[in-house]
Amino acid sequence: MLSLLRSMWLVFRHLFTRTATVQYPDQKPYLAPRYRGRIVLTRDPDGEERCVACNLCAVACPPDCISLQKTEDEDGRWRPAFFRINFSRCIMCGLCEDACPTYAIQLTPDFEMCEYDRQSMVYEKEDLLISGPGKYHEYSFYNVAGKAIDGKGKGEAENEAGPVDVKSLNL
Amino acid sequence: MPTITIDGEDYEVDGEQNLLATCLSLGINLPYFCWHPAMGSVGACRQCAVIEYKDTEDQHGKLVMGCMTPVKDGGLYSVIADAAREFRGGIIEDLMTNHPHDCPVCEEGGECHLQDMTEMTGHVQRRYRGSKRTHRNQYLGPFINHEMNRCIACYRCTRFYRDYAGGSDLESLGRNNQIYFGRQKDGMLENGFSGNLVEVCPTGVFTDKTFSQHYVRKWDLQTAPSICEHCAVGCNTAPGAREPGNGGRAILRRVTNLYHRDINGYFLCDRGRFGYDYVNSDHRLENVLAARGDRLIESTARSGEKIHRILPPADAVGRFAQTLAAAQLGRRRLIGIASPRSSLENNFALRQLVGGANFFCGLARRDLELLHLVDRVQRDPRIHSPTTPEIESADAVLILGEDIDNTAPRIALAVRQAARNRQKQRARDLKIPLWQDASVRQLDGNPSPVLLIGTGTPALEEIASEILHCTADQTASFATAVVGFLRRDEPEQTELPESLRELARRAAERLSAAQRPLIVSGCGNRSVDIVNGAAAVACALAECEQGDREQCDLYLACPEVNSLGIAQLFPPGGGQLEQLAGQLRAGDGDTPTTLVILENDLYRRCDRRTVDTLLAGADEVILLDTLLNTTARHADLVFPAAATAESEGSYINSSGIAQRFYAVYEGAGFIQESWRWLANAAAACEEYPGNDVLAGCQHVHELSAALAGKFPALGVLAGLGPDEHYRIDGLKVARQSHRYSGRTAIRARDHVAELPPHRDPDAPMVFSMEGIQNAARTTLQANIWSPGWNSNQSIQKFLQGVGGRRKGAQGSRRIERAAQPLEDWHPQNTKAAATFSAATDLVLVPLHRMFGSDELSARAAAIASVIDEPYAVISAGDAEQRQIQHGDLLQIRIDSEHYAVEARISATLPRGTVGVPAGLPGLESLDCHLPGPAAVERIHGGESP
Repeated sequence: MLSLLRSMWLVFRHLFTRTATVQYPDQKPYLAPRYRGRIVLTRDPDGEERCVACNLCAVACPPDCISLQKTEDEDGRWRPAFFRINFSRCIMCGLCEDACPTYAIQLTPDFEMCEYDRQSMVYEKEDLLISGPGKYHEYSFYNVAGKAIDGKGKGEAENEAGPVDVKSLNL
Repeated sequence: MPTITIDGEDYEVDGEQNLLATCLSLGINLPYFCWHPAMGSVGACRQCAVIEYKDTEDQHGKLVMGCMTPVKDGGLYSVIADAAREFRGGIIEDLMTNHPHDCPVCEEGGECHLQDMTEMTGHVQRRYRGSKRTHRNQYLGPFINHEMNRCIACYRCTRFYRDYAGGSDLESLGRNNQIYFGRQKDGMLENGFSGNLVEVCPTGVFTDKTFSQHYVRKWDLQTAPSICEHCAVGCNTAPGAREPGNGGRAILRRVTNLYHRDINGYFLCDRGRFGYDYVNSDHRLENVLAARGDRLIESTARSGEKIHRILPPADAVGRFAQTLAAAQLGRRRLIGIASPRSSLENNFALRQLVGGANFFCGLARRDLELLHLVDRVQRDPRIHSPTTPEIESADAVLILGEDIDNTAPRIALAVRQAARNRQKQRARDLKIPLWQDASVRQLDGNPSPVLLIGTGTPALEEIASEILHCTADQTASFATAVVGFLRRDEPEQTELPESLRELARRAAERLSAAQRPLIVSGCGNRSVDIVNGAAAVACALAECEQGDREQCDLYLACPEVNSLGIAQLFPPGGGQLEQLAGQLRAGDGDTPTTLVILENDLYRRCDRRTVDTLLAGADEVILLDTLLNTTARHADLVFPAAATAESEGSYINSSGIAQRFYAVYEGAGFIQESWRWLANAAAACEEYPGNDVLAGCQHVHELSAALAGKFPALGVLAGLGPDEHYRIDGLKVARQSHRYSGRTAIRARDHVAELPPHRDPDAPMVFSMEGIQNAARTTLQANIWSPGWNSNQSIQKFLQGVGGRRKGAQGSRRIERAAQPLEDWHPQNTKAAATFSAATDLVLVPLHRMFGSDELSARAAAIASVIDEPYAVISAGDAEQRQIQHGDLLQIRIDSEHYAVEARISATLPRGTVGVPAGLPGLESLDCHLPGPAAVERIHGGESP
């Protein structure tokens, strides 16, 4: 008897507490900028694709839902010929973002990606690529890498000395 | 056996090796760069520092370089001492100051020795804030990419390229901190072993350009042990494949060396490494093709060529089965043509299908007789076919008329090491350990005698002590003279000039004085006399009283991967193509004939007229092959056959070692192994005897077992390599690494639901990562990886000591042929040039090319780009007489065929001969005429069309 009354009192008391339920989707919850949601591929400050197809995201991915193929363009840059994420397998763990050496792959605070057809959860590079640099505004991989590309020759990256002239005495 | 103590643990070691190699053999991780198991130590990189203690009282010890320290009995060492670890960390930190931030865009990333060693020393944070040194790159040809920024100046590249492989165009240039490893000018690396730089370089300075065109990381490659199919040496390879992800067919991405102590060791030639790409070629057959009824007009095609349409495989097999039924009922004659570039099992399946009497070899008489002779010679109990380490330990080498640098390149590399044996002997006398590479190479003293007799092995001339440029007949006479001197009776041969007799006398002296003489010859010249001569020299040496040996080493290079295997399937004197052509020409009229051709382009085997008769004489031609070739254009029904990397089977190499290879991946489209097409047809045919091994054949091992039962010499096949029931801890071996990525995405574009991995009923391996990953437990594992060792250097973890055999059962065995002593050989002299019209005729002799002579590798894109245009080499004397200049256009006329070639002048070619590159694209059908007389003349006024 006593326990019954106590339970009823408890329920009664909750009538006057603040509600925890959010009226989603009419009401959107706050998600931090670094929330791990839908994955995007970003571009460097010059508008070029950041992804260099190094395959590190793919190998870091626990459910193996990232697949890509490296290709090398005329300008000397490595790019993915295709870049595919199977979001129906993705667990939004963010290990791909951690593994990415060029800040190309980033997770965004968007989680609303429901589909009626599972096939629509397969995103190709065109679906993933955004037009901006995402969370890292300044970084451009080829500015710090030693590989020469069009518009950046040997010795023109940050912290690089000019190329050695082998035929000089090099004293 | 000395006992040493490393970090408090006692070990018994052999004492032959240095401390670094000893540590690695014991499984202790010690970082290194410049040391290489095949090339010894130079102590350049200072990375393998350890502490050596004077005695147990000594608390501090001294820092020594592991690779430069001999192991001494009772030695006390520490690998993990703080001082040693700090020193090693400092070295890496210094090496990394100039290393570019390239790993994501470097092909070496993920299998980089520098990455591994950096991790191993624990260097994780860059402290250096200065600027990095940079270098300009060079163009090094279509095989190798150069990215000089990444260099850590370990000198391994030049040590391999110059010291080990004898190249001269890769050098260390510049000085102090700005050393540059490259050529004086941009240009293709000339040495035929340049591809090994990719594996020798501990970082990404030299990378595989062909791999980069369809690049994936090492962990994404699906691998299995395979055999290189581009020559008869039988090097073990680890091809890597991966599906493309865009719905296309699986791509064979690259080939790397797979260590086999007795055959290829650590190195492959460039033909083997870069020739794989033919399987990805546009000419690859993927569908069953059937000839259409309409004929092509003569102006667009040669007569007899057909146009094809794609046929559903079931219909094609049905059609094949009907043919088979008619043959079983005696209404049709079924003839099988075998192939020396297909596995024993495929050839045997064809033999079962058509019956032994209707089974032909697919080689011309001359070639098959030569193979039988090689087989016959190797059966002699006095003759031993040496393994590669045995070749390397020879101290006198006689090369008789074989251009091994192009017909068996890996053997030429071994002979190159043999030339240093005098030097090594001197080092032993001076008590210098052999791994002290720089010290040993500094020793003077004559190189070991290497005698080069014949039309020349240009690349080996620099190590030869005596060179004689002569024709095949002279080579054989020379061999006879050597035999005479060895037997101590005066050679009856008198026609040999005095200078040659003197050379033969010296050769005989050198060979008989040697501890381990080696004779090298082969089928390259298509000369029975040369092979016989080489065998006679070897027999005479074995009987020679001076040595206490009972056997003499004789290496005979065969032309194709399974040449010696196919010779086992035919009795001497049978199975030649000419016999078949004769039979078909004589034909009994009423019975229609079907030719079943297995992986063979007949137009490379016999002259065009014979092959045309052959194909025209048959009512139906069925071909199973990998690439669309001339024979395929004449066939009525073409089945797509699996290439070596897509199939399982066994090959027999030049020294009679049978080896099993496994499918790396499944062929695209309707590609399947040839024996499967034959078995399908047999199963679909009701008249075909159900009790035959082929009709019910499910696995390739059933064929191997049947083959072993049928041919006593091939008995070892029954137990060769584990069969499909082999398990380790109840599991099969995984072809994919445990890091294989993209399983749930790679096919998702077409279908998001994942299918289970394809089962492989044939092999003790799976097409997935779900299996045994431990390379130390089985030689079936071709993905050479070990924790902390991602690069190919991890191979030492899977060997029984550095330079030893692979751990686990060996997949290769020597076939056991009945011993049969050779009869004494007396050369039949003077097969004089009877049909010689001295004014215009010259003798064409085959010249072998590393790139171009081999049928399959010539279809690989990168190799095709470096193959020469058709040319002929003419001796300087003949050129002068005929007023031929270098670069002139020549015409070679044989029978009714004409070939236009560019003239090249050679100072070393004997007069009266013209060297023609064997099998070069454009000259394939000329190959069968070599050696032989032909009219060679200059085409005048080449301007007019």
